[in-house]
Amino acid sequence: MNGFFGPLDSDGRVPPRQQTRVASFLISAHGALGRRFALALPPRLESAWQTELNAQFYNESEIVSLLLRATNWTPDLALGYLATAWETTWFPAPAAGIPDPTLALAVDLATLAHAIHAGIRPAALLPVEANPNDPFAMAIRRVEFESGRLLQAQIMFLKGESLVPFRDAVSAALERRHAEVRKLWHELLDSIGITSRNQNDAKP
Amino acid sequence: MPFLSYSSYRIRYELDGPADAPAYVLVNGLTQYAELWTAYRDALIARRFRVATFDLLGQGESDKPPLFISQDDQVAALHLLIQELGSGPVFLSGISFGGLIALRYAIAHGDRLSGLVPMSCFAELPPQLFLLGNALRTGLILGGTSYLQDLLLPMNVSDQWLAPVLDKLDSVKRPGWLVNDVYALQNLMESFLDFQPLTPQLPSIGLPTMILNGEFDFLTPRALHETLRVNIPNSSLVIIPRAYHAFTLEKPALTADLLARFANDVMAGRWRGNKSVWIAPDEAGGDLMPFPAGYDHLRAVPVQRAIS
Repeated sequence: MNGFFGPLDSDGRVPPRQQTRVASFLISAHGALGRRFALALPPRLESAWQTELNAQFYNESEIVSLLLRATNWTPDLALGYLATAWETTWFPAPAAGIPDPTLALAVDLATLAHAIHAGIRPAALLPVEANPNDPFAMAIRRVEFESGRLLQAQIMFLKGESLVPFRDAVSAALERRHAEVRKLWHELLDSIGITSRNQNDAKP
Repeated sequence: MPFLSYSSYRIRYELDGPADAPAYVLVNGLTQYAELWTAYRDALIARRFRVATFDLLGQGESDKPPLFISQDDQVAALHLLIQELGSGPVFLSGISFGGLIALRYAIAHGDRLSGLVPMSCFAELPPQLFLLGNALRTGLILGGTSYLQDLLLPMNVSDQWLAPVLDKLDSVKRPGWLVNDVYALQNLMESFLDFQPLTPQLPSIGLPTMILNGEFDFLTPRALHETLRVNIPNSSLVIIPRAYHAFTLEKPALTADLLARFANDVMAGRWRGNKSVWIAPDEAGGDLMPFPAGYDHLRAVPVQRAIS
C-alpha cells in the first residue's frame, strides 16, 4: 500500500483497475450532483443566482463526460455493489434543524457538493512519474481543478446571510456529508491498494 | 504521530528534545506544514531546548474543518499544545499568519510565556496588505494551491534561493501542494474577513519580545513591524539583512541562532527590549549591530530621522 496510484505501466499510465474504480466513483458522485442541479434548475431563470445552478449543472455534466471518455475501463464485478452504496449515500437528506423544507434540501445539496468538491482530490494520487499526456491523468487533474472552482458557489451559499440563523444546523450537515464522502473515498482507495495520506480521510 | 483533540478535530503535533528543557513553540505560516521547521528543531535541540511543532487547524496532517473556523480556534488549539509542555519556560515564535496567531496568544495568555518572537508579522491590515491578501485569495480560488504558491514564492524568497531550484519548481511546490487543500487554505484566509486590528491590545503584551523583519519584505513591510515595536513595551526590532518575507525558509541557521540567543538572554536576565532597533548579522553567531543612530529605519535610503 502507498499513497499514490501504481505501479504505473511502462508508459507511466495508471493501472486500468485503479482507473475504473476511481472514475466510477467520481462519475457516481458528480453525476448525482448533476442530476440534483438539473432538477433544481428552472426552465427560465428568474434570479441572478440561478445562473450558478446552470453553470454547476453543465460543469458536473462535463466531468462525467470527460471521465467516461478518458478512462481505460476494465471489467470490475465489485462495481455493482460499490455503486449501490455510493448512490444511496447521495440520496437527498434535508438538513436537520432548518424548518423550511426547500431550504433544508438546498442546504443538503450544497453540503454534499461541498464535500465532493472539497474533500476528493484525485490528482493528488498521481505520482510524479505519471505520464502527463495520459488522458486519465489529465482528466483527474481537471476534475480536481474544476472542483476547486465549483466549490465557491457552495461556500458563498453556506456562509451567506440567509443561513446565518442556522449556522449550527449547516455546520452539522456539512460535517455529516464530509464524513460520509470521506468514508466512501477512503474505502475505495483502500480497495485499490492506496493508503490515504490525509488525516481527514483517515478519520472514521 | 501524536494528536491533540480540539472539539471534534485533531491537531497533529510533535515534541522533541529534553522534557526538562525550556521550550520553543513554532507556529507555521499560511501554506506551511510542521516539517518545514526541521532545521530549527535540530539547531534548537543542540542548544538544549525542547521544540514543539504542529500543523494549524486546516493545515498539513491536522484536521481540516469544512467551513467555519476562526483565529480564536487556532489560539485555543495552540493553548492545548502549550499546556502539554508542563510548567517550564515557554518561548513562542511564529511566522506571518503563524506570527499573528502567536501575537493573539500572547495577548490572551501572555502570563504563560517567557518570550515572544513574531516574524514577518502584522497586527493590522492596511490597504496594501488587505488588497494583496484579497488578490492572493482570488488567486487561490481561480488557480488553486499551485497558483497561490506561484504568487508567493517570488514574493517571499530571494533570487539567490530561487535560481538553483528554478528548473525544478514543481518538485519544490509539490509537498506543500499535496498536504494543503484549497478549501482549507481558503478557510484560513477567510478568517481575516472579520479581522479587527490588534494594535490597541499590543501594549498588554508585557513579556520580552523580539520582532524579526526581513530587510526586503514587501508583503509585510517594515511599517507593519514598527507598529509592533512601538506598541509592545519590552520589544526590540531586529532587521534580517537581505531577507524577504519567508526568511525562515531561506536563513534557518541564522534565524534559529537568533531565537536561541534571545531565549538565553531572557532566561539570564540580560534581555533589554527598550523598543530598540537592531541589524542582525549575515551569518549565525555574528554580532547584532544597533541601527545607526539618527537614521530612519523605516526608509530604504539613508534618511536622517526627523527630530521629534
